[in-house]
Amino acid sequence: METNYSEISKKIQEISRKLLEEGRVDRVIGFERGEFTGEMTPVLVTDPEEAENLLFNPECEMMLAKYLLDYGGSTTGIVAKPCDTRAITVYLAEELIKRDEIVIIGINDCQGLEENEACDECGVRNPVVADEEIGQPRQEPVETDIKDDLKDMSLGERFAYFQEEFSRCIRCYACREACFVCSCEECFVDSNQPQWVGFSVGLRDNFTFHLMRAMHMAGRCINCGACELACPEAINMRALTRNLYRVAQEVYEFEPGLDPEEKTLFATYRLNDSEQGFLD
Amino acid sequence: MAGNENFEPKILAFLCNWCSYAAADLAGSSRMQYPPQIRVIRVPCSGRIDPFLLIRAFNSGADGILVSGCHPGDCHYLDGNYYARRRFLMLKELMQYAGIAEERVNFTWCSASEGKRFAAIVDRVVERIKAVGPWEGFDSRGFIRREEEVAGGN
Repeated sequence: METNYSEISKKIQEISRKLLEEGRVDRVIGFERGEFTGEMTPVLVTDPEEAENLLFNPECEMMLAKYLLDYGGSTTGIVAKPCDTRAITVYLAEELIKRDEIVIIGINDCQGLEENEACDECGVRNPVVADEEIGQPRQEPVETDIKDDLKDMSLGERFAYFQEEFSRCIRCYACREACFVCSCEECFVDSNQPQWVGFSVGLRDNFTFHLMRAMHMAGRCINCGACELACPEAINMRALTRNLYRVAQEVYEFEPGLDPEEKTLFATYRLNDSEQGFLD
Repeated sequence: MAGNENFEPKILAFLCNWCSYAAADLAGSSRMQYPPQIRVIRVPCSGRIDPFLLIRAFNSGADGILVSGCHPGDCHYLDGNYYARRRFLMLKELMQYAGIAEERVNFTWCSASEGKRFAAIVDRVVERIKAVGPWEGFDSRGFIRREEEVAGGN
């Protein structure tokens, strides 16, 4: 069945207008068409009259969940793709936002975004949490696999591959800005006491940065692909994070962003956790 | 690799104050011989070790790392090593996937009475790291792009 995006947009406008008029939210975060570039950009609507600017279509690639962190203490409505609701779920699990301060306008039966490879690997097509739902939830599950195109490479080949990738990194930190996980008050790359990684661009520090970034993502990254979409150098950095996603799935049966009550991977433990690879 | 007969690896050993550091001490006071290539860093608990410290060890040119804490269940702070265990497993997977030999990244448990075991572990770790050779660094291929790439306009 074709997804009717103008229908979805109309529903978003209706619901947002209602929420704002009833005073259930102070603002709604959604998408509108940008003034100059024509690209879909995030917009913050506070006036019910402006709700008609809200749009939704497959170009809406930004993760909006990160904006919720800026508005604690007041109520916010948010237009949420299923991946956004997973991001919100991670925030709820880490107690970064309060459930009663947000109203989630979830979009059912997500078809994925244009140009985002990660969407082909995603099996979550309905919102995980939602207050208002748009469209009918998809019933049949999507058969997907986390891709692993490096598994046939030898150790040395993988190292050379990542050196090649990370040598292109200009350390603009667009991946960090786009990522909902990156919500630390002070990022480790900006810290100079201690200085975790050198500030200048060079393969040694680039490689270190990407390893550290991937380590911060472990157990939080939902494999949404926002980092790769944001990267100006098209670095395949998701290879590292999705591998950790897969390992967490296999070893700990843990997938982030599916249950707001479940603690994230590193915030808990089991007595009989695996010790695979440890020296005995 | 050729010419590695005289390779003396630099190994950073992060030892928990309550177990493994005492084990190293016991190994010393019992006059056990173990290889001198480890540099010991004493930490209050294996749960205190930020994975960033371990990644940074490689950035700074260490040939390998050894992390040793209390056996699960024996943590001085009750559950520090349980949290650490998850982090270390994920770090190990990450490093291996990024192309760093798993022999360089070593985790183990060692109680305060296991001086003999500690000496054996160090022996083993040094052997493992000698087998994979010196760590050439994340920038072993150099940062400057190859000429043909630049000329090709990529």
